[in-house]
Amino acid sequence: MVTPRIDLPTGEPNRFGLPDTTGLAPAITAARARIRKLAHRRGELDPVTTELVRIRNARHQTCYF
Amino acid sequence: MGRVTTTWLPGLPAGDTDWDRFAALWPEAFDALAQLVAAAWAESDPVLLELCRVRMATLLGSPAEAARRTQRARAAGLDDEKLAELPAWPSSSRFTDAERACLALAEQFVADANGVTDEVLAAVAGHLGPTGCYAFVEALSALEAFQRTCLTLGIETVPEAVHSPNPELPW
Repeated sequence: MVTPRIDLPTGEPNRFGLPDTTGLAPAITAARARIRKLAHRRGELDPVTTELVRIRNARHQTCYF
Repeated sequence: MGRVTTTWLPGLPAGDTDWDRFAALWPEAFDALAQLVAAAWAESDPVLLELCRVRMATLLGSPAEAARRTQRARAAGLDDEKLAELPAWPSSSRFTDAERACLALAEQFVADANGVTDEVLAAVAGHLGPTGCYAFVEALSALEAFQRTCLTLGIETVPEAVHSPNPELPW
């Protein structure tokens, strides 16, 4: 379970062990979900390249998720 | 802004702005990105977000985005004199404590998100509350994604409606 650095009124952790923040900025959450669904549905992104870029980006940001 | 500047991608359809030309080719994707930007504005104080948007654009090297002004921030009282003093925000008396806290977060966020400290977040949360701070970080992230996308694709001109969408949208 990740502990947020700000004291957020979140409920139970989600299936990834992260605080459930979906209700805190609902419009932005919905818009992000739409982009994710759209990218997934189009199926134009090669999954290997996508994963390599994701990991490389995460290392640049020193993010270890 | 009725001007087009994108030249690297041959065969783009005609349009009033660079954004319109790309959106004509990929309408769903560009509409989704526009909705993300609209959501960021809907969940933020317009003056705080505009100050940070312009500052992020300057730091990212996007003069077109830095020069753009949004109607909803202007309507909320943000004037050009204050924006002209934005590079001096740490020492200028024009900026409130809340604006300084948000600008400090925005600068660190765009330069190196990993370097955002507990103190920087606490300062913003002290003004906006924890939930407001969370929404503000989400809004910064949305506008950063928008700016980096435009920079990468060479989109300089964007319709005013992208940053000042229809207020009757469901958010």
